[in-house]
Amino acid sequence: MKNRKRNPAKKQAVSQRTKVTIHKLPTGVRGLDDILGGGIPEFSFNIIAGTPGCGKTTLAHQIVFANATARKPALYFTVLGEPALKMLRYQQQYSFFDESKLGKAIRFINLSDVVLEKDLDAVLEEIIREVTATNPGVVVVDSFRTVVRKAMASASELEMQSFIQRLAQFLTSWEATSFLVGEYTVDEMRDNPLFTVADGLFWLSQVAERNSVVRKLQIYKLRGVASVPGLHTIRISDDGMQAFSRTLGLIGQKSKPSRRRRLSVGIPELDKMMGGGVLEGDSLLIAGPSGTGKSALATQFIAEGLRKGEPGIMAIFEERPKGYTDRADSFGLNLRTPQEKGKLEILYLRPLDLSVDETMQEILDAIKRVGAKRLVIDSLVGFEMALAPGFRTDFRESLYRMIAALTGAGVTVLSTVEVEDKFTEMSFSHYTISFLTDDIIRLRYVEIDGQLRKIMVVIKMRGGNHSKDIREYVITDKGVVVIHPRTTEYDGLTTGIPRRTGPRLAQKEEAAPEPKAKSKEKRPLH
Amino acid sequence: MRDFAERLIAYETRRNRSSATKTPVACLVIEKLRPQLATLMGNIGFRALLSRTLALANPEFPWLRAVQVKAEGSLEGLDELGTQVDPDDVFEGCAVLLAQMLGLLVAFIGEDLTLRLVREVWPKLSLNNLDVGKGDR
Repeated sequence: MKNRKRNPAKKQAVSQRTKVTIHKLPTGVRGLDDILGGGIPEFSFNIIAGTPGCGKTTLAHQIVFANATARKPALYFTVLGEPALKMLRYQQQYSFFDESKLGKAIRFINLSDVVLEKDLDAVLEEIIREVTATNPGVVVVDSFRTVVRKAMASASELEMQSFIQRLAQFLTSWEATSFLVGEYTVDEMRDNPLFTVADGLFWLSQVAERNSVVRKLQIYKLRGVASVPGLHTIRISDDGMQAFSRTLGLIGQKSKPSRRRRLSVGIPELDKMMGGGVLEGDSLLIAGPSGTGKSALATQFIAEGLRKGEPGIMAIFEERPKGYTDRADSFGLNLRTPQEKGKLEILYLRPLDLSVDETMQEILDAIKRVGAKRLVIDSLVGFEMALAPGFRTDFRESLYRMIAALTGAGVTVLSTVEVEDKFTEMSFSHYTISFLTDDIIRLRYVEIDGQLRKIMVVIKMRGGNHSKDIREYVITDKGVVVIHPRTTEYDGLTTGIPRRTGPRLAQKEEAAPEPKAKSKEKRPLH
Repeated sequence: MRDFAERLIAYETRRNRSSATKTPVACLVIEKLRPQLATLMGNIGFRALLSRTLALANPEFPWLRAVQVKAEGSLEGLDELGTQVDPDDVFEGCAVLLAQMLGLLVAFIGEDLTLRLVREVWPKLSLNNLDVGKGDR
């Protein structure tokens, strides 16, 4: 016994050799493979379930078209559901529908007659006959629910269970990855042998909330792989189904560099207040009421990045893109050329029925396209308003996931949020969003010497020390410009109505201290 | 669609030159399409399609009212027409029947898929320069 010491390295090597490799089939549905942990396990026996209109058949078709080849075809058994002609009529509208695959790679077989006129054994026999003759890689039965419903009228529960067992065993033995499509409700899952036997359970649902419909996908189980739990938003468009993973496909992305640079926001005095600039990969929140220059600051942040060779994305939800380029022009900053060169994209996202995940996917796609290092979200309030009501409850959670993932990958994010100025206190935001920001800068109006001026203060810098000074700033033809050292002759500045504690400094009267951002277009003379 | 039907009829006529059958060739074409279509849409689906085809051709050829679709999807009653109808008229009626069926398929699933289904039954049939026309039956 003394000589039987185990060698851990050897043991590991043995276990690696003996472990079976489960190949995964692509679903053909954008985003779904990420949710499934890479794809559908080969030879698995799956159920695609849900209420009518959720996209079950579309999902099954997408899987079939993504995998069927002449050498390893797909068999699509249709049973008493949507008539085959109509199914083909509608499904061919999707871009994934490749009619050249029909016949040799994909065969549609109607089992309605067998189901209506015969028993379960005959149904199984027919499936076995076709599968044996074709040797398919993928088999779909749509709708399996109708097979069960018909069978249950005459067969016992035991016979039904036996049928499911035999079907699952046969299809697996024939190395087919199979999908039974059916209209089920969640309650029906209990005590149903079908759901016990299945390796994978794809549950689709749709919920109407106010004027919007929200479609969701949940992977209840998927043996052999680690799928992403929870409800994922899906959308059906001309390209078929698209799934939006709760992880936004950002798991496993490269992490932020260990030595992070300080990035200039394009306002030298503000950089100093921030201890040298914003840390690369930080999330910076600019909070302030309307007109305080949040968008101007965001424009300067992006322009400075572009000047330093860092591509950027501006996701805007309120003002139109032209407003941003015009503003930049008026500050002497050029956003047009970087746009033309593919270094900057201004995404104007305003439809009112977007899901938070697909909005984020649009932003992520753009980030990938331009290789963005800086991202502006202007504003969070506009972002939330652009979402379908049903998604607004998920907004903060989803935003947290996206910002955490992006900053984790080294992208520096500047978000703006509008807050109402109260003249008794200084709130940062009506959102509880400080948890998702590393740094917060607060802009606000103050009443001084008969003028409504603007002040800014760095509230928080997670990455290090920062100035505690409250600084006055103006918006000029250079953009946001911080003026004067900190004010010492007032207190109560943060309330908006400060109290003078020192002498009034001599100052010349200002005529028009803050010229507005001007368009380059000539304005008509009045 | 008539051009499409006539090509199928001509092709099948060449193949059946030696056959002594009295069934119009257009009906033989429909009969050959039946298994292919029944696999796709089931017998019930095929019967529904053929019944609609008959209904569409009826106004032009009233004698088609005597023709029925059997349970398995084949046509019955053609042979019984005997001398009551001019054989040329029967030939023409069946050609229209085929054209109507092809027209329905094109209307439902489009030209590409219809041609694909037909090619699976007659792989060597030339369908070059075929003008099926949209909804032209």
